[in-house]
Amino acid sequence: MFDQIDPRSPTPLYDQIADRIRVAVAAGELRPGDPLPSVRRLAGRLRVNPATVVQAYRALEAEGFVEMRQGSGTFVLDIGVNRRDAERHDQARDLVRDVLADAARLGLSGEDVLRALRLEIGTEAG
Amino acid sequence: MTHAIEMRGVHHRLGKTFEIRDLTVNVPSGSIYGFLGPNGSGKTTTIRLMLGLLRRGKGSIQVLGRPIPADAARVLARTGYVPERPHLYDSFSIGEAIKYHGAFFRTWDARRAEELRVRFRLDAAGRIGRLSKGETGKLMMLLVLAQSPDLLVLDEPTDGLDPVVRRDVLTAVLDYVSQRDATVFISSHLVHELERICDWVGVMDDGRLVAEMPMQTFKSGIKRLRVADAPSLVSDTPFVLLAREPGDGLSGGEVWVVRGWQDPMKQYFQGVGARLREVVDLDLEEGFVELLRTFRTPGA
Repeated sequence: MFDQIDPRSPTPLYDQIADRIRVAVAAGELRPGDPLPSVRRLAGRLRVNPATVVQAYRALEAEGFVEMRQGSGTFVLDIGVNRRDAERHDQARDLVRDVLADAARLGLSGEDVLRALRLEIGTEAG
Repeated sequence: MTHAIEMRGVHHRLGKTFEIRDLTVNVPSGSIYGFLGPNGSGKTTTIRLMLGLLRRGKGSIQVLGRPIPADAARVLARTGYVPERPHLYDSFSIGEAIKYHGAFFRTWDARRAEELRVRFRLDAAGRIGRLSKGETGKLMMLLVLAQSPDLLVLDEPTDGLDPVVRRDVLTAVLDYVSQRDATVFISSHLVHELERICDWVGVMDDGRLVAEMPMQTFKSGIKRLRVADAPSLVSDTPFVLLAREPGDGLSGGEVWVVRGWQDPMKQYFQGVGARLREVVDLDLEEGFVELLRTFRTPGA
């Protein structure tokens, strides 16, 4: 789940970690009640500062995704089906914004991108 | 914020050509502080000064709240120091070296030493003189972690080690700090390694500290900008303009290297009749290289 963590990215590491978990929760990959890895274990596995993992978990807790229980760990909360849909929507939007920003650098318009997208999905003949 | 290490206005002359000048370093308690700098920039000298192993000229130094060099012995009792060159007796076995080192520390954790010995796959009977570089690196880390230190000072702890050993050694450090509050001061020229684990960064060049800030501020603050139609004279920039150079010729315009960048500053360019074409993110290594380059050629 954390394979795409990139320390060289300008996006802070804690945000990348939190984001992977948001996606997993919204996609149902992580279910309510599931435990997240301990701070120590995840920091060791990703070779990041333990404080970075704590920061990610705190951010997720503030957003209502998880609950940190003193002494027993961090657990996924039930965010409800509406919130899950909203999350999926936000994630799709972020993806599109990234694509459009890249397209602008290449001098491609939104229309160019949309056309390519339709072609790829197969709703438009080439 | 309290600081595990505070150096104020420290001067030190080393030989005729090199000196540490007016050095001020603040290492927040509980941070993992990456100390970057090219070879010969004064990183090791700074470390030796902060531990009282070299006598400063002017200035003041406090480590773990105590003055250096006056209280150096008490500070060293709580500090795990991995020097650039390991100081181990060749004739000892690993088991003997562990026992010998442990005898110096009241806070010695024999159980952790044994756990790490097993995890690092070090043979207790193996002779120090016959260890590989990687095994020596692991043994040094074992010795300082078993001290249960409040401060770890690591001088190029992974220099010359292969990637597998580097990973083992750094994971052991991270494991340690996730179990107890400790400050880690780690010097390295392996920038990518620090990018993952550090939350503060200090940059040395030619005996001076040229930057010190949270890692995220450093990484997000230094940018390369592609600018078109820039006026020849600029002033009052909301960011620090480190360098201004001609573009690559294909796209024309100029490349600016700036520090202290924030997105709302885009508006500055309209105000002076220029166009900002692109903001390029730099990773730690690029940011570090740009910072040093621009510091070395003032006014470039």
